[in-house]
Amino acid sequence: MRIFDPHIHMTSRTTDDYEQMYAAGVRALVEPAFWLGQPRTSVGSFTDYFDGLIGWERFRAAQFGIRHHCTIALNPKEANDPRCAEVLEVLPRYLAKDGVVAVGEVGYDSMTEAEEKAFAQQLTLAIEHELPVLVHTPHRDKLAGTKRTLDVVRESGIAPELVVVDHLNELTVGLVADAGCWMGFSIYPDTKMDEHRMVTILKEHGTQRVLVNSAADWGRSDPLKTLRTGEAMLAAGYTESDVDTVLWGNPVEFYGQSGKLMLDPLESAQPGGETFEGNSVLRGART
Amino acid sequence: MSDLRFGYGTNGFANHRLDDALAVIADLGYTGVALTLDHDHLDPFADDVVEQTRRVRARLDELGLGVVVETGARYLLDPWHKHQPTLVSADPARRIDFLRRATRIAEDLGAECVSFWSGVTPSGVDDETAWARMRDGVAAVLETSRVRLALEPEPGHFVQHLEQALRLRTELGSPELLGITLDVGHCVAVEPVDAAECVRRAGELLFNVQLDDMLPGVHEHLEFGEGRLDLAGTLAALAEVGYPGLAAVELPRHSHAAPDVARRSITALRAADWLADAERAVRTDPARIRTLFPATGRKAGRSPLDADGLVHGTTDDHARARLLAALSIGLSGGELAKEVAELYRYGDGAERRGVLRGLHLLPVDGEVVDTGLRLVEDALRANDTGLVAAALGPFAARHLDAHTWRHGVLKCLFTGVPVGAVSGLAERADAELARMVTDYAAEREAAGRDVPQDAYLVLQEAGQ
Repeated sequence: MRIFDPHIHMTSRTTDDYEQMYAAGVRALVEPAFWLGQPRTSVGSFTDYFDGLIGWERFRAAQFGIRHHCTIALNPKEANDPRCAEVLEVLPRYLAKDGVVAVGEVGYDSMTEAEEKAFAQQLTLAIEHELPVLVHTPHRDKLAGTKRTLDVVRESGIAPELVVVDHLNELTVGLVADAGCWMGFSIYPDTKMDEHRMVTILKEHGTQRVLVNSAADWGRSDPLKTLRTGEAMLAAGYTESDVDTVLWGNPVEFYGQSGKLMLDPLESAQPGGETFEGNSVLRGART
Repeated sequence: MSDLRFGYGTNGFANHRLDDALAVIADLGYTGVALTLDHDHLDPFADDVVEQTRRVRARLDELGLGVVVETGARYLLDPWHKHQPTLVSADPARRIDFLRRATRIAEDLGAECVSFWSGVTPSGVDDETAWARMRDGVAAVLETSRVRLALEPEPGHFVQHLEQALRLRTELGSPELLGITLDVGHCVAVEPVDAAECVRRAGELLFNVQLDDMLPGVHEHLEFGEGRLDLAGTLAALAEVGYPGLAAVELPRHSHAAPDVARRSITALRAADWLADAERAVRTDPARIRTLFPATGRKAGRSPLDADGLVHGTTDDHARARLLAALSIGLSGGELAKEVAELYRYGDGAERRGVLRGLHLLPVDGEVVDTGLRLVEDALRANDTGLVAAALGPFAARHLDAHTWRHGVLKCLFTGVPVGAVSGLAERADAELARMVTDYAAEREAAGRDVPQDAYLVLQEAGQ
């Protein structure tokens, strides 16, 4: 099984995860920029983080045979802090960088005015930079939040096929399908959505315009949920080809719209003595 | 991207059937061809030339290719003598007949012009005679032509400089149908000014452009990057004069590997066109550099110019250095210093290298130099050998204090950066550097480890 995880926060994960993901068939992923688990207090904290996403983390993933891309944005949660909102000014520099395949995660968290302003502004940036957009939907008041999200997307004028609306469930998927946007599903161990419910949704809505991700981060989550979804699809009678569409073809099609995917296979999945800016993932074994 | 239209010369596809050559050229993304009439490519002496021409025209239309007609075939008129007879031969009749046929074919093809050259002056013929033959020959072809004719100065030929071609045109009374073919490689080889300047001098008389690289003084058509042509600068000049015609790659000796050469050429042309466009954008709106700088590797290429790009850098390093130079046209002083510092701050490794390799192109201004020094010092603290190498370029040679500079050189020895990357080594290497390197060598020897060859090179430069 060939897997492209379209949404996973590898900065929060260990090298064991990388090894297991490779063994499971993951060969490419997208790491969206998001918050740190606790609030940032300055723009510098964002830019150091962005530098890591396009630098060290891409190198680290490559050491384990996985192509790493990222999305860049001011996330909805931190859009509410004026100290952080200034990061919008430097976003264009990062959106132009190699391997930055979308603007994201943007959208609503608590549906405030500041969030809406940052959201709309970043949709405009996406249009200017000809990039797709990864839109997060709120954990609380999800249905109303998703409706309002789709209104903002529509008003921005961006083509719906350039937008994925993420963290959907049975109640919100229909709205997004009707809007012509891509449908994103985060498969978690306990909450939100699991692989069996996912299969049921696929049966109802088909495999087109669907992205399945693990959204694994520093919370309880499982970077192999993409694999589990593939297995559940096969168990439910889907073909290998259907699984490949959902777990590889779809993410490639969606993020490929950026023109910046880097999918040529890596030579090795075993870290050697390679370095990034002089630093290696090896410990103790370097000569 | 500019509005330039790139084509490829079919004389670089001599081992392909014309139909196949046209398809490959179109598939690679060219939008035109320079069609050299030859014995197996639309032979102008064939009985069914009218019918053949009609078929070729249909094929060009189908593939969406523009066309100019080239007349430089080697043995089309005389199977024994290359290019003979010419317009400066004692009896140029066959040449004039051929050129007239070419103009009729060009008309039937809907070609943009017919390109031709003078030929080599036969031995024993003085300049005055050759000039008169040339003038009469061109006049004779013009007389019957309904399409534009473009005279190409050709190294070694009677008319080999742009100035001669322009003078001939004036003497003929500046006929509207007569213009210039400029081969930009020829400019490198034999013209007194560079190709961009030739383009400006020819201006609206430029009917046809041939693209290739060349070394000064050597008339050998080379692929882009193998000679001294400033391709981006040349394309910028073409865009600047609003050149509307085809600019076609002219590599007649590369037919043996035509598809690969044509593919590499269009890649180089797109990269150079992007760079020319980016420079223009930065000159008029300096803030554009913030998003063009990160995109440079994707658009202009990233190949190293030596084994690992440590000594001479990479393609994108040089492209970024040019963007930095363009930046200093729109900004100066504190504003320029701030923009440069931010490019470095927000840059990834490659962007930082690009800044470092362009510092010497910036004006020598207090704030700009101070900023440059801060960036060089930062780079010399890094473990990234690409940054260390780039930091020790001409800017550091000129401005960095002796202590920091010496430690930079020593760091090269430590981290395996070839000292060839250090600019001004011979001028700046002093007794103190020699002492440091001698101590370093002694320490390596005491530990039973090899002393890098470059250490001895530094000592040699320091006169030790």
